[in-house]
Amino acid sequence: MKNFEFLFAAYAVFWLGICAYLFRLSLLQKRVDDRIQQIRKLLDRNRSS
Amino acid sequence: MLKSLENGTTPFRNRGWFSRFLLGFLAGAMILNLWLIFFYAPTERQMGEVQRIFYFHVPAALLSFLAFGLVCAAGILYLITRKRKWDLLGHSAAEVGVLFCTLVLLSGPIWAKPIWNVWWTWEVRLTTTLILWMIFMAYLMVRSYAENPDQGARFAAVLGIIGFLDVPIIIMSVRLFRGLHPRVFKVQGGGGLDPAMGRTFMVSLATFFLLFLYLLLERYRLGCSDWETECLMEMTERQTVARPGILEESK
Repeated sequence: MKNFEFLFAAYAVFWLGICAYLFRLSLLQKRVDDRIQQIRKLLDRNRSS
Repeated sequence: MLKSLENGTTPFRNRGWFSRFLLGFLAGAMILNLWLIFFYAPTERQMGEVQRIFYFHVPAALLSFLAFGLVCAAGILYLITRKRKWDLLGHSAAEVGVLFCTLVLLSGPIWAKPIWNVWWTWEVRLTTTLILWMIFMAYLMVRSYAENPDQGARFAAVLGIIGFLDVPIIIMSVRLFRGLHPRVFKVQGGGGLDPAMGRTFMVSLATFFLLFLYLLLERYRLGCSDWETECLMEMTERQTVARPGILEESK
């Protein structure tokens, strides 16, 4: 197993990078979805009043 | 966008069946790909195990070029039509492209250390790739820091078109400037890839293309949600103008 530690490090960096980006996307998406729901509620309340 | 929101629909935003199907298919393809990389592909005689970095380093590099090509095309279409969807596509592709380019710039030195005995050298392909990464980081910064979003989108579109000119230079660099970076394909006088390595590489390229597509779709969906928020805010403001006391009423 020549140079296996380098291969392991490269794969770890790669997958950590992809997972971190996916996590960031899902976090931002959740935040924006909550904000949309809030604004929609406000709009509905304004329409009905 | 505003019209469809007023009708109560939310275009583009909901995660479609295609995105879910893609995620499931991607998971299966990735397991197959890892099996091929670690158990099917033969170990390279001189470099040893570290050569297996090639199976994701090269697809990531090619897909970052594809992403920056998309940024360029979307930038041209945005400057011609001024339609927001092209700007959103360009922004999404730039972000995914920068992610892949970052992974290329990180995995490359990890390969270079045991093979070249240095983490980094100012070799022409490495340097031009670093310049490409910096250009598209600047693209993302222009978007983030522009005070006027329309102006930011315009500047970013121009930067994306100019930045893409670096991609052909990177591709041609090894041939034109005789750099250190290895040439795996089309090597004159023998060499090249073992057939099993070639097959593994093609599966890897297809799998990473699916990953790229999934990330691009998810980023585009986020962009659409941001757009929807802006439109809804605009509708709220219009309601407030039509009925001045409405904000106090709603409190």
